[in-house]
Amino acid sequence: MVPNQVMGSQVKNLLSGVSDHGDRHLVEVETDLVQMNILLSEAIKKLGSSFMAIHGALSIQQETVNLLLSGGTPAPECVARLEAIQGEIGQHVNAAVTGLQFQDMTSQLIGRMVTHLSGLRDVFGALDTGSSNVLPESDHEDIVTLLNSLNQMLAERSVALEGALRKAVNQRHMESGDIELF
Amino acid sequence: MAKTILAVDDSGSLRQMVAFSLKAAGYQVIEAVDGQDGLDKAKKQTVDLVLTDQNMPRMDGLSLIKALRGMTSYQRVPILMLTTESGDDMKAQGKAAGANGWLVKPFDPQRLTEVVKKVIG
Repeated sequence: MVPNQVMGSQVKNLLSGVSDHGDRHLVEVETDLVQMNILLSEAIKKLGSSFMAIHGALSIQQETVNLLLSGGTPAPECVARLEAIQGEIGQHVNAAVTGLQFQDMTSQLIGRMVTHLSGLRDVFGALDTGSSNVLPESDHEDIVTLLNSLNQMLAERSVALEGALRKAVNQRHMESGDIELF
Repeated sequence: MAKTILAVDDSGSLRQMVAFSLKAAGYQVIEAVDGQDGLDKAKKQTVDLVLTDQNMPRMDGLSLIKALRGMTSYQRVPILMLTTESGDDMKAQGKAAGANGWLVKPFDPQRLTEVVKKVIG
């Protein structure tokens, strides 16, 4: 290959490498953001609903307590309702506990996104360092050597990225997960 | 006497939820912030059940299980994984390491309590 073709090929590899690498990082970040949005929306809906239900149950409970405090005798159905309310509150609290676990999942997704953005910053940083090594007096061979080392760096970063791609959080809903006893 | 459960998770809010749920069911709960902390606490006091997350700093859940299974006092203590990981390969690794069950987050307190009761009574 003539020198210009070598350099042209290296430049082409570099540009497509940067584009592919950046794209893979950003696609992962985008997917995680979408998933985080879904989990947060479900969690807020679940927590809001639990909060309102607990508030409603406590209000009914308080009415009966007020009646007792004022010396009145609650009707038998009112007493039965009071007992049932305690169970309902327990169920709503359980639902709230499930909803509150959004923090654990979203923090893992945020951690993944930070890793991807940091990987992207590393690549840009390496490109910047490489470009500062190109001097006005650099000859053709120096530039080809630099392009070659940048392409190698990108290839290494891509291998490292493969290891960071495993997704630990696949949940799309804030519902109780599967249980399996061995 | 209340049975003791060691809850290992690097998420403070998750540990709080687990402790809240299990204490309400009458269990005593010891909390550990990661696998290493869990191992240290397990060495100080033998517990009735270990409930551990997988992805944690310093020592992950699978390493914790392997370390515990290497201790005479923990060879028969039930260990359950409570994690966001739901892949079959991870479950197989957990089973091979010595886990007795796999619970995928998020958990429902009632279902968690039922499983714990089934395992340790």
